[in-house]
Amino acid sequence: MRHIGRCLLPVRRSFSQYTNAARAVKEDPRWPGWGVVIGIEVHAQIKSRRKLFSSANTSDLTEHPNTRFVPYDAAFPGTLPNLNPRCVELGIRTALALECQVQPRSTFDRKHYFYPDLPSGYQITQHYAPLATDGSLQLSQGDAKVRIKQIQLEQDTGKTMFDPRRRVSSIDLNRAGTGLMEIVSEPDLRSPEEAGDYVRTLQALLRSVGSSDGNMEQGSFRCDVNVSVNRPDAPAGTRCEIKNLNSVKFMMVAITCEVFRQIELLEKGLSVPQETRGFDEAKAETFSLRSKEDAPDYRYMPDPNLPPLLLDQTYIRDIRKSMPELPPETRSRLLAQGLSERDADVLMAIDMGREVGYDGSLGHGAVAYFDTVARGRDSKIVVNWITHELLGQLTSRKETFKENKLSAEQLGEIIDLVQGKKITGTSGRSLLRHVLAHNSSESPTKLAEQMSLLVSESDSTSLRTWCKQIIAEMPEESQAIRNGHLNVVNKMVGRVMKLSKGRADAKAVRTTLETLLATK
Amino acid sequence: MLRHIQCNRHYTFSKQITRHASTTVSRTAIHDLNANVNALVFTSPETTLSKSQDGPLGNIRVAVKDNICTSDMPTTCSSEMLRNFHSPFDATVVKLLKSAGADIVGKANCDEFGMGSLNVYSAHGPVVNPHNISERRSAGGSSGGSAAAVAAGICDIALGTDTGGSIRLPASYCGVAGLKPSYGLISRWGVVSFADSLDCVGIMGCKVNGIKTTFGALSQYDPKDPSAATPDTREKARQACSLAMKSYFKSDSLNGLRIGIPQEYFPSELQPNITSSLRRILDALQSRGAQIISVSLPSTPYALSAYYVIASAEASSNMARYDGVEYGSRVNPPPGADNTKTANVYAYTRSNGFGKEVQRRILLGTYALTADAFDNYFLQAQRVRRLVRADFDQVFAVQNPLSNVKTTPNPQGVHVLLHPSAIRTAPSLEEKEAGTSSLDDYVQDVLTVPASLAGLPALSVPAGLAEDGWPVGVSAVSQWGYDDLVLEVGKAIEECLS
Repeated sequence: MRHIGRCLLPVRRSFSQYTNAARAVKEDPRWPGWGVVIGIEVHAQIKSRRKLFSSANTSDLTEHPNTRFVPYDAAFPGTLPNLNPRCVELGIRTALALECQVQPRSTFDRKHYFYPDLPSGYQITQHYAPLATDGSLQLSQGDAKVRIKQIQLEQDTGKTMFDPRRRVSSIDLNRAGTGLMEIVSEPDLRSPEEAGDYVRTLQALLRSVGSSDGNMEQGSFRCDVNVSVNRPDAPAGTRCEIKNLNSVKFMMVAITCEVFRQIELLEKGLSVPQETRGFDEAKAETFSLRSKEDAPDYRYMPDPNLPPLLLDQTYIRDIRKSMPELPPETRSRLLAQGLSERDADVLMAIDMGREVGYDGSLGHGAVAYFDTVARGRDSKIVVNWITHELLGQLTSRKETFKENKLSAEQLGEIIDLVQGKKITGTSGRSLLRHVLAHNSSESPTKLAEQMSLLVSESDSTSLRTWCKQIIAEMPEESQAIRNGHLNVVNKMVGRVMKLSKGRADAKAVRTTLETLLATK
Repeated sequence: MLRHIQCNRHYTFSKQITRHASTTVSRTAIHDLNANVNALVFTSPETTLSKSQDGPLGNIRVAVKDNICTSDMPTTCSSEMLRNFHSPFDATVVKLLKSAGADIVGKANCDEFGMGSLNVYSAHGPVVNPHNISERRSAGGSSGGSAAAVAAGICDIALGTDTGGSIRLPASYCGVAGLKPSYGLISRWGVVSFADSLDCVGIMGCKVNGIKTTFGALSQYDPKDPSAATPDTREKARQACSLAMKSYFKSDSLNGLRIGIPQEYFPSELQPNITSSLRRILDALQSRGAQIISVSLPSTPYALSAYYVIASAEASSNMARYDGVEYGSRVNPPPGADNTKTANVYAYTRSNGFGKEVQRRILLGTYALTADAFDNYFLQAQRVRRLVRADFDQVFAVQNPLSNVKTTPNPQGVHVLLHPSAIRTAPSLEEKEAGTSSLDDYVQDVLTVPASLAGLPALSVPAGLAEDGWPVGVSAVSQWGYDDLVLEVGKAIEECLS
C-alpha cells in the first residue's frame, strides 16, 4: 500500500524488560565477586547485488574507488530512494533464522549527522519501527540462549581515507548506500568467551542463509559491544560502548580490558561514566571517544519519501519455505544419516568459509556436495571418500574446496566403480588424482578404460601370471615365505600391485601368492 | 511595454491542436519579453525548436521551474549553492514533456529551493509581475517565474512545483491558471526536494484546457518515484472520478454539482475586494444549476503552523546534502579555522550558499526535529495534518480512493470546494524590499496549505480583477484523484467570466 501525503506517526520503541529472561551472573575466576553483562550490536552488510535504495551494484574491496555509485548515492538533487526487495528478503531470512517476529509494518527514518562519507547528511535506518523484533540465538557452547532485541535495515556509509602527510581526506562512495542489517542483542552475554561464541554463531547463521558473508576482517560484519560490571544481586552497572572492533579475537580482548578497567574504577570507589570508547589493539586498552553528554542529537525523522514497508503473511511464509537449512538442522540431519560428529564437523567447517552468493544464492559448499554424491549411495562410504581421499588430495595440492575440480557426478561414479568391484580402491584413488591433476571432465568409467584400470574377466589369469612373474623375480623372498616368514608377503604384494598398475585386488594377490608358494 | 500583456497571446488547446503561437515567438522575442519580468533565468538555444514535434504537446512552448532537473540546461534552484550546477539527468516530467513534443524554452525563476511566497528570495533577483510592470508588484512564489512566463506570453505552459501553495499563489497574482495535482500523480524523480511529503509538480497556463492536456501527458506512474500512486490506485480514482463527472457536467447545466464554501477560508487578513470576485463567480455557477453550500473545515486554523513545522523539518533534512563536497558551490575554511568537526568545515559553504530564508527554515526545521522538541512540534504537526485530512474526507461526497476503510459517502457532502486562492492581490515588491516581517509572508499561504497537507488536487483560476486592477484567483479543491473534476470546475468558472 502507498500512503499519499502520509503522516507517519513514529512509535516509540518499548525496551524489553532486561530482568525478564536475563541470565544470572556467572562467577568468573578472573574477576571474583563481579558479574559481567554484555550486549552486542552487529552491523552486517547485506550480500545483495544492488544497494539498498539505488540501482548501483554493491562492491567488494577489489574495485577501484568511486566506480560503484549512481547519482542517488552521491545525494544528487532530484534523486529518490527505491527500496531493493532483495535486501528486504535477506533481512527477513535473517529474522526468521533468529526466530524473530517479522513486523507486518515497519518504517524508514532518517538519522542526521554531518560527515563527508555521508553525502545526503542523513542515513536511512529503521529507528521507530524496525523490520523484526524479539528473537533469540542459541550459543554453540553450553545451553545459553541470547535474546535478539531487533533487526533493522539501514544504509552503509562511504569511506573516508585521510592522508596525514598531505592533510587531505579522500572519499570513496563504492560502499555508500549498501544495505546493512543492524542486529541488536539484549544484554544476555556473561563473558568475553560467550561474546565470541555469539559473534561466531551469528556469522555462521548469516552465511548459511546467504544474507551476509559476515567477514569481520573485510568490514562486512562490524561489532559494537556494550559492557558493564556489577556485584552479584546488585542492579546492572553503567555500560560503556566499545566501537569498531575488527575481529572476534580483539573483541574478546577489548571486553576483558574493559571489564578490568571498570572494576578498577569501582573498587577505587569511583563511578563508571557512560561513554563511547574505542579500542587500541597495540596497547590492549580501551580509550574514551565521547561522553554521554557529547552524544549527538540525530534528529530522527520518518523518511517522507518511503512509504511504510508492509509485509503480508504469505510473503513471509514463502520466504520461510525457500529458506536454506540452518547450521543446527544441517548438523542433526548429517548425524541422522550416519555420519560421525567429526565428519559432520569437517563438512560444516568447510562451509563456514564458502562463498556467499548475491541476493541469497548460496555457493555450493561441502555439505551440498556431500548431499549430491550421497543421493542413492551409502552416506558413510561417501563421506569417507570426501574427507579422506578428496580433501586429502586437495590439501596436498594446496587447493581449497572451492577450487575442487572433481564434480559430484564424477566422484559418485568413482565410488560406484569401486563398490561394484569394476575397479579396485587403489584404481579409484588414482582416478580421483587424475581428474584433479588434469582438470578432466571425462567420465571416470571412460578414464578407467583408457587407463586400463578396469578389472576384466581375464584378470584372474593375469593375476596368476603377475604373481608367478614376481615369484620368479624374487627367489629369496619366495624362499623366506616358504620357510614361514609370512610378513615378507606384503613386500611381494606391493610388487605385484605395481606390476598390475593397481588393477589387481590386493587381497586376491595375497591369497594367490600364498597359494602358489604353499603348493610348490 | 508589457502592460496588460497577460494572456493576450494565449494558445488555444483543443482536440485538434493548432500550432501557430509557437512559431511566432522566437527566442529573440522571448529575450525581449523576459527582459523586464525576469521570469526565465536560462533560455534554451533555438536549435531544439527546429525539429517539428508530434505528440499531444507538439511545439507547445513550455518553461520549466529551475528546481526541476534538466540535463541540457543548468538547474540552480535559484540558489548560490547550485549556481553552476548541471544535473546529469532529466527529471521524469522533462522526459515526458520532450516525448510529448513540447518545446522547452528555458528555466523559470523561483524562490530559492521553492521556499518563499513572493519570488524575492532568488539568486537571480525577484520576478516582476508582468500584469503591470511599472507598478513593480510581486509575481508570487515560489513558482513566480513560471506564472510570470505564462502571463507575459513567453510560453504557453509552465511547470512549477507546489509545496504549500507555490503554484496557486503566483497563478492568482499573475492572473493565470495553475494546477497542483493530487500528491503522487506526477513523478517527483528529478524534482529537487524541498519537503518530500508535500512537494508536487504542477502546471500553469492561460487556460484550463492547456493545463488539462499537459496534465494528461505528465500524470504517469513512474517506478522511480517511491511515493508515486500505483497504477491500481490511479485506475480506481479515474473510474470513480469519471462516474462523478458524468452526473454533474451534462450539457449546459451544473445540476446536482454541490460546491462547498469553507467558512474558515475567510480570515481577517482577507482583503474585502477578493470576496466580491468570488461572489460574482458563485452567482454565475448557481445560475447554471450548481448548489452552493457552506461547510466547515474546523482544523484549518492550525494548518498553517503545522505546515511550517513539517515543511521546515523536511527542508532541514533535505538541505543537509548541500555541503560542497560532491557538487555545488564550496567555500573552504580560512587558514587556522577549527576543522575538528565536519559541521565546522561545512558551515562556511552553507552560510555562504544558502540565502537567509532557506537558512531560517533550516534552523526552524532543525529545532523541530531535536529530541526535546520532536513530540511537541513535529509529532503534533503530524496529528494536525491527519485532522486536516479527516476534515476534507468528511465534507466530500465521494470517498478518498487512498483510504482502505470502506466508508459510506456523505450524501450531504460536496463535490468540490471553492475559496479565494490568496488573501490579497499581488503585493508590491518595494514593500517587500523595504523589509516586512517574514511572518507576513507565511500568512500568504494560509488558504493554500490545507490542500497540500491533505495531498488534494487544487486549481487556481483567474476570477477577474479586483478594484486595484490586479488579478484575483479562485481555487477549486476536490477529493484525492479527482483532478479532472477540479479542471472541469475550472473550465466552468472560465465560462462564467467570458
